[in-house]
Amino acid sequence: MSQAAIDVPKGGFSFDLCRRNDMLAKKGVQQPSYRKTGTTIVGLIFQDGVILGADTRATEGPIVCDKNCEKIHYMAPNIYCCGAGTAADTEAVTDMVSSQLQLHRYHTGRESRVVTALTLLKKHLFSYQGHVSAALVLGGVDVTGPHLHTIYPHGSTDTLPFATMGSGSLAAMSIFESKYKEGLTRDEGIKLVTEAICSGIFNDLGSGSNVDVCVITKGHKEYLRNHLSPTPRTYVSAKDYTFSKKTEVLLTKIIPLTEKVEVIEAGDAMEE
Amino acid sequence: MKLDTSGLESAAPLVGASSGFLDGFADAPSFEVPTTNDFDGFQKEAIQMVKPAKGTTTLAFIFKDGVMVAADSRASMGGYISSQSVKKIIEINPYMLGTMAGGAADCQFWHRNLGIKVCRLHELANKRRISVTGASKLLANILYSYRGMGLSVGTMIAGWDETGPGLYYVDSEGGRLKGMRFSVGSGSPYAYGVLDDGYRYDMSVEEAAELARRAIYHATFRDGASGGVASVYHVGPNGWKKLSGDDVGELHYHYYPVVEGAVEQEMVEVAAA
Amino acid sequence: MSIFEYNGSALIAMVGKNCFAIASDRRLGVQLQTVATDFKRINQVHDRLFIGLSGLATDAQTLYQRLMFRHKLYQLREERDMKPETFASLVSAILYEKRFGPYFCQPVIAGLSDEDRPFICTMDSIGAKELAKDFVVAGTASESLYGACEAMFKPDMEAEELFEIVSQALLSSVDRDCLSGWGGHVFVVTPTEVKERILKGRMD
Repeated sequence: MSQAAIDVPKGGFSFDLCRRNDMLAKKGVQQPSYRKTGTTIVGLIFQDGVILGADTRATEGPIVCDKNCEKIHYMAPNIYCCGAGTAADTEAVTDMVSSQLQLHRYHTGRESRVVTALTLLKKHLFSYQGHVSAALVLGGVDVTGPHLHTIYPHGSTDTLPFATMGSGSLAAMSIFESKYKEGLTRDEGIKLVTEAICSGIFNDLGSGSNVDVCVITKGHKEYLRNHLSPTPRTYVSAKDYTFSKKTEVLLTKIIPLTEKVEVIEAGDAMEE
Repeated sequence: MKLDTSGLESAAPLVGASSGFLDGFADAPSFEVPTTNDFDGFQKEAIQMVKPAKGTTTLAFIFKDGVMVAADSRASMGGYISSQSVKKIIEINPYMLGTMAGGAADCQFWHRNLGIKVCRLHELANKRRISVTGASKLLANILYSYRGMGLSVGTMIAGWDETGPGLYYVDSEGGRLKGMRFSVGSGSPYAYGVLDDGYRYDMSVEEAAELARRAIYHATFRDGASGGVASVYHVGPNGWKKLSGDDVGELHYHYYPVVEGAVEQEMVEVAAA
Repeated sequence: MSIFEYNGSALIAMVGKNCFAIASDRRLGVQLQTVATDFKRINQVHDRLFIGLSGLATDAQTLYQRLMFRHKLYQLREERDMKPETFASLVSAILYEKRFGPYFCQPVIAGLSDEDRPFICTMDSIGAKELAKDFVVAGTASESLYGACEAMFKPDMEAEELFEIVSQALLSSVDRDCLSGWGGHVFVVTPTEVKERILKGRMD
């Protein structure tokens, strides 16, 4: 049997549907839009480490498809990464690199470094020439101190004391540019990050919902999921919906489920 | 859910309508032609912009007692259903009906134009009603004069005049056909199937109405862009009359009642452990 | 025309108290032409795990077969059923593998974990997971479904109430969509049983 027939992928992309999809595209079929995190993501360095921040809106075209998604991805215990761009890409690329880092830690027995994550990410992104559309803000604290980087979809990187990315990056940057200073305290830092994200939430249509914050310090991190909800839902219906007519059912089939029984094998169970 | 079909009812009779507007006598209104170098491209874009409600099923046929006209009532924009109660059979005058397929605005405007500026003024000038042949030809001439400028009309003019029942198909490409039965719109292939199978010239009015309704129902079933209410009109020697307007959501279960016994079938067999 | 609109579909999954419901329409069309009105879009992976695949039907069926194959391999190797979370990751990985030539499918996954905790999830066609706590929707009627669910959903519904809400949301949404409808197919899954129902809907 050929390898393809076994159908268990060995990793990497598969391009076997490309020809067909190109044919469809040539016939005038519109190509699908993917879920994007039209996003505001930020990060800054404060006196003890790094603070990352993100909004929680995911969009598909004009539709908000997730009102509370997670955009701050885990990379290593001491490294986190905010992702903007195509949701599947940011998710996949951070997952991939975080597993490589884990394997590297198993191998070396040392804490991962931010530069390692940075290099792995940019290598991957550069090799796909921008087709993997992930714009990232990478932050972490390692033996060499706190680090903050931005990574662009084509693989270029920046090293900055404060950074913003995504469609709301301009709104967030305006806050940072006017208020950031060196040696912020933890509370000042969280406040500034929150303010920057809120600026994105309110002024950028692609960003919205809640503020997620992640504070990483030497040997410690704190993931503040939904740190702030500046736009709570105001239109919760007071009473239940009633339906003038009950749904009419044409056919019902009931399949009882058996209890999950734990089979504890006795010592003299059949042996071969 | 019951559909609100009030929009499908006829307005006040058109017979005694006063007409104090003789100024724009019988000439077709003319539009400014857009000042652009790329006229064809402009047209294309303009049509895309006001994307006409396309999906429709309309049909009409002549039989021994007159003309039967029927239509669905759905208006759609792409995949979205924007209305389930559109009046697609336009009452031009008490003896003439027009059907609507293609651009809703184009059809409505030119039918009204036909009713007041062509047919009514013809009556006043000649002391007799215009023939279906004449009315349809005037409409076809107007549409022809705008040919290639983006109008989207596919209509049937059905009526009764001195020569008896009349039925014409007119479209915005300038075509005009006389015939015994027509169907227009995205659901027309399905409607033709039923219509051609069940059509006989010597049908009674009841039989003809049922055939028309059935043809519309089957078209709404198969065609995603047709649906809502199946309206059936009859035009006889004494003018048109609306015979029925049935919600096809109910019509389906009327034609194909749910088989008793298939409901509530319990399977008490234990799934594989 | 978008390729997702070629066959037309509507999918919804909603969470209740220790139970969930997953529902779809029954139409299979070729653009505006209705070809079948008893099409199955929701498939049972194991006793308490379901997957609905919206979008292009040919891809949905191929994808379903590949998923079942992978699930059976897992069952053989591990001698247990997949957890819903695991299955969602599998679907995501299979979709992302085809990042640059995707299946034109948007899956909706719903399952009950071993602790009877409901799990629902949807993805785009390249496997970006969206784990929701309340409801997920997909298909050509998704915009209407978002609205209906957003208004009708309430937390901790019992199975029967959940069924009514899901059915009403589905039927009212597909009544505003040309490309889906023609009846509904609902599964309500509780820890003790799976109730499968065929809904009566407008056939236009």
